[in-house]
Amino acid sequence: MTILCVRFQLPPMYEAVLPGLLGLLEEFTPVIEALPPDGALADLRGAERYFGRDAVELASVIRVRALARYGVDCLIGAGPGPMLARMALYDARPGMTCAVTEDAVAEFLAGKPVTALPGVGTATARTLGEYGLDTLDRVAAAPLSTLQRLLGAKTGRELHERANGVDRGRVVPNAVSRSLATEQPFERDELDPDRHRRALLSATEELGARLRALDKVCRTLTLTVRYADRSATVRTRRLPEPTAHTTALTRAAYGMYEALGLQRARVRALALRAEGLDSAEQASYQLTFDPVDEKVRRIEEVADRARARFGPRAVIPGTLAA
Amino acid sequence: MPGFTHLHTVSGFSVRYGASHPERLAERAAERGMDALALTDRDTLAGTVRFAKACAAAGVRPLFGAELAVDGPRRQEEVARGERRRTPVRGGAFIDESTPRVTFLARDGARGWADLCRLVTAAHTAPDTPLLPWPDNHADGLTVLLGPDSDVGRALAAGRPDRAAKLLAPWREAYGDALRLEAVWHGREGTGPGSLRLAARTVGFAAEQRIRPVLSNAVRYADPGQGPVADVLDAARRLVPIDPTKELDSGEAWLKDPAAMLHTAERIVEAAGFRREAAHRLLEQTGATAAECLVDPEDDLGLGTVHFPEPHLVGAARRTAQRTLASRAAVGMVLRGYAGRRDYWERMHDELDVIAYHGFASYFLTVAQVVDDVRKMGIRVAARGSGAGSLVNHLLGIAHADPVEHGLLMERFLSRRRFVLPDIDIDVESARRLEVYRAIIDRFGTERVATVAMPETYRVRHAVRDVGAALSMDPAEIDRIAKSFPHIRARDARAALEELPELKALAGEKQRYGRLWELVEALDALPRGVAMHPCGVLLSDASLLARTPVMPTSGEGFPMSQFDKDDVEDLGLLKLDVLGVRMQSAMAHAVAEVERTKGERIDLDAVPPGDPATYRLIRSTETLGCFQIESPGQRDLVGRLQPATFHDLVVDISLFRPGPVAADMVRPFIEARHGRAPARYPHPDLEEPLKETYGVVVFHEQIIHIVHIMTGCGRDEADRVRRGLSDPESQGRIKVWFAQHAAVRGYDAETIRRTWEIVEAFGSYGFCKAHAVGFAVPTYQSAWLKAHHPAAFYAGLLTHDPGMYPKRLLLADARRRGVPILPLDVNRSGVAHRIELVSDSRSAVRSNSPGVWGLRLALSDVHGISEAEAARIADGQPYASLLDFWERARPSRPIAGRLAQVGALDAFGANRRDLQLHLTELHRGARGGGGGQLPLAGGRKTAAAGLPDLSDAEKLSAELGVLSMDTSRNLMDDHRAFLDELGVVSARRLREARHGETVLVAGAKAATQTPPIRSGKRVIFTTLDDGTGLVDLAFFDDSHDACAHTVFHSWLLLVRGVVQRRGPRSLSVVGSAAWNLAELAELRAEGGLEEVAARLARPVPEGAEGTPDGEGDGDGGDGDARDPARAGRDRSIRMSTGYEMHPWADLRPAGEGPASGRKLWHQSPGSAG
Repeated sequence: MTILCVRFQLPPMYEAVLPGLLGLLEEFTPVIEALPPDGALADLRGAERYFGRDAVELASVIRVRALARYGVDCLIGAGPGPMLARMALYDARPGMTCAVTEDAVAEFLAGKPVTALPGVGTATARTLGEYGLDTLDRVAAAPLSTLQRLLGAKTGRELHERANGVDRGRVVPNAVSRSLATEQPFERDELDPDRHRRALLSATEELGARLRALDKVCRTLTLTVRYADRSATVRTRRLPEPTAHTTALTRAAYGMYEALGLQRARVRALALRAEGLDSAEQASYQLTFDPVDEKVRRIEEVADRARARFGPRAVIPGTLAA
Repeated sequence: MPGFTHLHTVSGFSVRYGASHPERLAERAAERGMDALALTDRDTLAGTVRFAKACAAAGVRPLFGAELAVDGPRRQEEVARGERRRTPVRGGAFIDESTPRVTFLARDGARGWADLCRLVTAAHTAPDTPLLPWPDNHADGLTVLLGPDSDVGRALAAGRPDRAAKLLAPWREAYGDALRLEAVWHGREGTGPGSLRLAARTVGFAAEQRIRPVLSNAVRYADPGQGPVADVLDAARRLVPIDPTKELDSGEAWLKDPAAMLHTAERIVEAAGFRREAAHRLLEQTGATAAECLVDPEDDLGLGTVHFPEPHLVGAARRTAQRTLASRAAVGMVLRGYAGRRDYWERMHDELDVIAYHGFASYFLTVAQVVDDVRKMGIRVAARGSGAGSLVNHLLGIAHADPVEHGLLMERFLSRRRFVLPDIDIDVESARRLEVYRAIIDRFGTERVATVAMPETYRVRHAVRDVGAALSMDPAEIDRIAKSFPHIRARDARAALEELPELKALAGEKQRYGRLWELVEALDALPRGVAMHPCGVLLSDASLLARTPVMPTSGEGFPMSQFDKDDVEDLGLLKLDVLGVRMQSAMAHAVAEVERTKGERIDLDAVPPGDPATYRLIRSTETLGCFQIESPGQRDLVGRLQPATFHDLVVDISLFRPGPVAADMVRPFIEARHGRAPARYPHPDLEEPLKETYGVVVFHEQIIHIVHIMTGCGRDEADRVRRGLSDPESQGRIKVWFAQHAAVRGYDAETIRRTWEIVEAFGSYGFCKAHAVGFAVPTYQSAWLKAHHPAAFYAGLLTHDPGMYPKRLLLADARRRGVPILPLDVNRSGVAHRIELVSDSRSAVRSNSPGVWGLRLALSDVHGISEAEAARIADGQPYASLLDFWERARPSRPIAGRLAQVGALDAFGANRRDLQLHLTELHRGARGGGGGQLPLAGGRKTAAAGLPDLSDAEKLSAELGVLSMDTSRNLMDDHRAFLDELGVVSARRLREARHGETVLVAGAKAATQTPPIRSGKRVIFTTLDDGTGLVDLAFFDDSHDACAHTVFHSWLLLVRGVVQRRGPRSLSVVGSAAWNLAELAELRAEGGLEEVAARLARPVPEGAEGTPDGEGDGDGGDGDARDPARAGRDRSIRMSTGYEMHPWADLRPAGEGPASGRKLWHQSPGSAG
């Protein structure tokens, strides 16, 4: 039980805080896998020895720090592997970490619905449910061959293993954990494409400035459009080259937005996330013969310096100033 | 002060555009000193009749017109130029409103009106949105206003007078001198519509082109301050939220008075560079244009004149219609064996004289023609309504019942003194109603036949949804608010929040929603769409299309007049009501089933009258599924009345109306019938008409007789008097007249006083006996079927679902009456429900008969099955194996799965889950294209795969999920142990319960109503089904705070109440507390009885012991005194007839009616289905 699964209790529109909270976890271990929009897995195998505390105690420390530093409460589940840690999270309540020990795994799984298993979505659960395999102990009891007939060879085998408590997963540090995000909410259902683009521009301005301040470049941009009915559309675009250049980010964001072709969709928020951060020195940069590109970058540099000196809103694009 | 006429005014009939009713507009025009007003609704003339009548009342001359989207002569190329936009991934595309709009005014009397109708009809032939094609865009009788939204106006707004001149040319060519340019100023900035600059440009351009300008205000609402309502309507039409940063409605488009319009005119002409005096010229031009538009509502629209189909179409080619009618009636006399009856001959000739007097002969022939056609198609048809009182109708075969035998009066239907159009309704099988419509259209042609429109108007739920969406509210929140309201008028929204106990929670958060409530109430009763009226068909001569605009209905493409049923009556269009009656379909199906299986042809119209078994059944009150007598109240009444003859049924049906119930006619009748009280007559002369109902006045016909006997005025005059009774004003006059004439006839003052009391109290809302006879015929027929062919009867009911109860309740009833329910089986079930001989030896021995007829469930009840799929499965029967079934019936995967779940495939292998697995693999194999390996073993049987079979509870759940019925057993059986723990009394045992005993009852909710009752209070009537029978519950308003929400919003109920007995067969429970049984059962399963106890211990708001008075015939007069605190209870609606009604009674309550099966069962992800 060395893996923690943490879910921060963020209000829905505050995904932007997540990277900061991940930073908090990084103080304990470098092995962190972010689960956007509001969670993360942390492998504390090394940390337990380093801090001299066990995972449950460390969980309390994490919670206290999150509350103290960010004012954000969190739920924490602990288990021997990522899967069990995630499942433990379902049973956790604020202030009470749910921990599953190695020898109590079978007991913990018995009676749980199949959907409690990470990786079993509604489709698989429906399939299993149609055949009466609705709890994990029933799935564990079913012959492997039947499961494979139902779900296919690989999925069937994996499900069979996991239902029996075999957790082969690892915590894999992912790109999202090294990401920056910003969210632009609207006060009412917003349909106006001009205002959408303005929000995007403001988002890329902010992301670009933050990236450049950290001396980082990003490889991928993700656009999330949230609608009034609480659904969302997510689009990800890989940039032609890693960059922190606002113009390039804006172009990518606009491209994704235009491709959606929204007309009457009632947009409540636009979120933009820069992913795959890397240090700026390692980024390659395609030179062009176009002097404009060069000039734009120079201006950006100057603007950044002005901002550093006179505050973040000292220099902003004209469309945002209006 | 010069007057002013608004030439461009839209009402609420411009769907989601106009914000005021036509009546309001007419009133305001009169108040503000205007002598004339035009109504120019968008794409419709539907408001015309109401507008014309309102104008007549307000003293304003109406002008008629329409605002139509028009296609330009060269629009094609413009369309080609526009680029195509990308399809949005979410939310859909914008509503395109870019088509130019032009206002047309009917100028030239009937010709103008006909042109207007033609243009509107032509506009509606466009594929999606109404659009007037250019080739149809010409008319001699119309004046055309080119306003800011026309192509010319748009060119001017764009600053292109040259282009405007070019666009003007084709208009000038088509309309010449009847063309006007319309200037509108709404105080907007810029050069767009409503701006001063555009208005000035229009006036200048008109002078330059030598076309007369007119001034209008493009009115959308009657009063200032209604701009926000217009914004909501705009948002609802365009399906977008209101954006306060964009251009909103200017708030100026109201019906301004002449002074304000003079001011507007002055500003416009000054801006156009003329002298201020030119403003008078502009107003003069407007006035002159209005003066030219002369369409008279009576002469030109045809208000008050009648048009029947031409006689040659209804079988009167060479003779006059009257002669043909007379000879057909005579033929009927002979055919029906009345030839030797002198009284029949006399009555027939009397009636023919009346018909000739009005010239309605071709009307009778038309109806007879339709009825003959329908009957030839093999569709059951019956007449209802007062038309059944006419012997001629009977002779022509329109009405079944013999009016002489049943004492029905022609005068109630038609007399020399009745100048309204007679009204014959015919009932046909609902399933084949559209076939009937097609037959009528084929017979008379589309130029004479149209269906009637039915505007759908805003009520509270839709208003909340549309306003909420316009105000950018959270969709989940909107949905919650909308669903918590009962189906009330939008204007009562805030009052309901204050007063209804089940809305208390919502009322608490009322302030959060700001302007929502105000706007919701402003939308009240505005049309929001139009549908085809479910029964009206217009029949006319070939001039129909010149008198009514016609549009195609959305589904079937029938021609539909834009006028609603009241309008068409005012317009003198002949309307025939063709009602689809599900019971007729159900009975037809039952008869067909009997013929299919037993080879026995039942003629329902000739079943023996007075069948003892049938009346035994009716008296037992087990009348579920029988026409008209299945509701809880009717079952109660039937139990007390104990009908033994057809006449008793007629009386029973007449008594169960809001009027008689409210007037307390039921109790004296029952008392007298069972000899507990003597029948009393005010005077021996009146004994004859009143004898049949023991001195209680039940029928309109009796009032007619009484008035006729007492005053000697003749029955036709008596009918006129009877009609006058419902109006308090004329009632006073009639009283004096009645007293005078009765005194002349020698009746003493006391008799006159007592008789008048009866006439006054009951006359206005008794029931027409002709109607009741029409109803009682199918009532008797359905009860006869239930008594003699129960299986076939249930098969018909389940197939056509005619009644108020959910299907599962009918099934429970069938089970109780010993009809075996045979499960769904792909080798045996048909598309519709069928009957089958159960050759089970046990039952054969037990019942000592060759076998019992069982009910085989139908494929069409499987959730989501299409007609084609069901037919394919039925056609391919029998199937040898699962593979055979899969390959030949080709069911879709989900349907096959559902069939397996409910055991329809049990014949192919034992385990339903194994079958599922095989189906999945067959499906995959089929998708793979190769067919692949057959997962079958052991010949025709399917091999087992080792999955666990469905448990009993899962099977039941599957049945409810797939069929919405608990077919194997009653779902309440599963709760039986828990109910026994609670000490719940079953419906069967309840029959032995004493009056006044406090009991617990439980069951699945079958029906909920809040009908109007005499005491003027709101009573919730609920019927529960617990497997052993039905429990009828009543909740009086002192228990509403505690119970109303639970009763409306739960499917399974546990109720504490007091037993009420009013006769051997009359029993109900007055509820005092109610709990959601599903919730309790869950608590029992999870936490044991302790949890249940904790839930029950939770305090229920006090004041809840049931009161033993009130319902129906109880006394409720002291209710308000006892309960003075509640403001809402004091407010009651006084009907014109004098009895009070609770303001919220007679509404469809909140919640979603009775449970529909799928909702009765908890759904865990693991359970099948």
